[in-house]
Amino acid sequence: MKKTVGFVVRHLVLTFLVVIWLVPILWLLVTSFSAYKGINTAHFFPEQWSLDNYKVLFLQPDSVVQYGAWFKNTLLIAIFTCIVSTSFVLMVSYAMSCLRFKGRKGLMSFGIVLNMFPGVLSMIAVYFVMKSLGLTNSHLGMIIVYSAGSGLGYLITKGFMDTISTSLREAAWLEGASEATIFFKIIIPLSQPIIVYTIINSFLVPWGDFVLAKLMLNSGIATDWTIAIGLFNMLGKSLINKYFSIFCAGGVIVSIPISALFVLMQKFYVEGVTGGSVKG
Amino acid sequence: MKKKVLAALLATSMVAASLVGCGNSGNEAGGASSADNSTAATDNSAAADNSTADSTADNSAAADNSTADSAAADNSAASSDDPVANLIAATTDTVKLTVWASEEDQTLTTQLLEDFKATYPDVTFDITLGSESESTAKDTILADVEAAADVFAFADDQINEMVQAGALQPVAATYTFDVASENVAGSVEAATINGTLYAYPMTADNGYFMFYDASVFSEEDVKSLDKMVEVAEAAGKKIAMDVSNGWYIYAFFQGAGYELTLNEDGSNNCTWNAAGATDVAQAIMDLYGTNVLVDMSDEEMATAIAEGTVVAAVNGTWRAETASDAWGENYSATKLPTFNVAGKECQMSSYSGYKLIGVNPYSANIGWSMLLAEFLTNESAQAARFEARGLGPSNVAAASSDAVQADPAIAALAAQAAYATPQRVGGNFWAPAETLGQILADGSAGSDLQSVLDTAVEGIMAPIE
Repeated sequence: MKKTVGFVVRHLVLTFLVVIWLVPILWLLVTSFSAYKGINTAHFFPEQWSLDNYKVLFLQPDSVVQYGAWFKNTLLIAIFTCIVSTSFVLMVSYAMSCLRFKGRKGLMSFGIVLNMFPGVLSMIAVYFVMKSLGLTNSHLGMIIVYSAGSGLGYLITKGFMDTISTSLREAAWLEGASEATIFFKIIIPLSQPIIVYTIINSFLVPWGDFVLAKLMLNSGIATDWTIAIGLFNMLGKSLINKYFSIFCAGGVIVSIPISALFVLMQKFYVEGVTGGSVKG
Repeated sequence: MKKKVLAALLATSMVAASLVGCGNSGNEAGGASSADNSTAATDNSAAADNSTADSTADNSAAADNSTADSAAADNSAASSDDPVANLIAATTDTVKLTVWASEEDQTLTTQLLEDFKATYPDVTFDITLGSESESTAKDTILADVEAAADVFAFADDQINEMVQAGALQPVAATYTFDVASENVAGSVEAATINGTLYAYPMTADNGYFMFYDASVFSEEDVKSLDKMVEVAEAAGKKIAMDVSNGWYIYAFFQGAGYELTLNEDGSNNCTWNAAGATDVAQAIMDLYGTNVLVDMSDEEMATAIAEGTVVAAVNGTWRAETASDAWGENYSATKLPTFNVAGKECQMSSYSGYKLIGVNPYSANIGWSMLLAEFLTNESAQAARFEARGLGPSNVAAASSDAVQADPAIAALAAQAAYATPQRVGGNFWAPAETLGQILADGSAGSDLQSVLDTAVEGIMAPIE
């Protein structure tokens, strides 16, 4: 009896939390299917349903909604950032984990401390450096900024590589393998789970970033924007009443690639995050 | 050992290579463009010199001309001794310009830019149109003036800070028409700081007034707010006004004769806690206490008007479409009503707002930027803007056209104009005023209104740090 009460109470609390977490998302979802364009707080569910908002997003771009272009820009930036910063992270982690050189410990601590400063602090400086190089309003500039410092986030990956037995590397070394061969043939295949984690992480940063994108892409030309800026722009006070439900639709679409990535890599992801935590 | 030396050599060569590479690429990309730039800049400065010299000299003539041909854009290329001809003559390269207009203005501006290019067929233009809301233009432009557009639209309340930051090119000379005399006095005043004109007035409708449903209120009813509340209560409907917003609460205090002015340093001077001001606060509390006059944000108002619960609202031209959709032929607008302060009827005041077009002083093509700014604000452009978007022109001739006069919202603004003041207020005003409006509207102010007003005024007059 006592057990049942506990069970019921526990599940009531959980249901309550689930409702709190899901209501905003559900609202976003149903509003994105609303035929009414502005914010209508009088009803939770729209009075009339329609697919128009999605149609506008992809098939009828106007001066405000350039969703296709934004999606392409963001995806390109995210993919290239993902490639560059994943390789940076892997290389730094390999060096820190497997190689022994003078000042390794010092460099590691320095990297960790440096990584703890919020990137926002240096944003203005970064902006002016990029401007003097002529890389503002350029997607190349965005990729550089996003991936340049990513090597500093090596800690978890390094922890994982520490768990790979040294004797494997020694054996390869004795067989005459170079560091590059060891890296590509031994460490990379064994690090698959953590690579997945790194990929997801480095994809998410540019995909969801607003602050830096807003600062760097300041030409006001809508086709150059990323999704975050474009969606934010729809919330301007003169636009919100015409574009709010389109904004919601955009928000729903934005979450699809991330969700897909997570679902696909979920198995590896869990393994990857916990993999480095037990030293063996 | 050998390895170390090799590594050191490699590292050095790599650094050297990268430096050289940087230098080269910088030269190739940056060098070429800077060369271009410098020629452009010299051309330009020549152009600018010419134009300022000529046009100051010819200014009176230009002004004369402009009265004769107010559709100046068409004839500008005609006479050879006018500043425009000089500007064209001094231009050899492609004229690169960036223009920022609000999202809603994109279609119209694209059209106007095409017309502009067609007006000067001898010049090659490369004009990019970006979007930037007039209400946030200041923030974006001041973030980096050099990176901002050459020609941009902004709301007149931002002009003080923009001028202080050196983000506006003074309109020292004009090419096609006299900006100061062809626009209504209020708009020119709003674009002028310390006697210098800094921008080109574009619209004159950024103020607020009363929308109402004529099936509920008669023309007599809408003269007094208390009467309106009575009528709406009888009909079981609501009247909306966003009093928890400094922009709107100003209507009450200014209307009752209490002052809010801007000091030189950007702080405010405010007498909203002077003797008798508690009566105004009491009046607001009484009005909102009826629960017929309700405090609603702009978005809520839009929903409520469409739903039919709100039958009158204090708002601006941007809500005209919502209101006319909801009320059909009963859609009407008029000046703000009077309200009762301790037995005395006071006319509600308001802020009048203008949208202006400014030119970036860092523009590489100042002359063309100024000419384009003129083109985007001349009579025919303003008339087109009214046609396309229902925005009230600041141009005197465009504003007096029959079509403009027949628009209820614009007519209401014109009627309200006599009681309106330009928005000159420092940033410290908004938050305390919002709080004041909120506590007056929800009745939580209590009985000690004087101390509530004292607190608000203290916040409003807080020094700038």
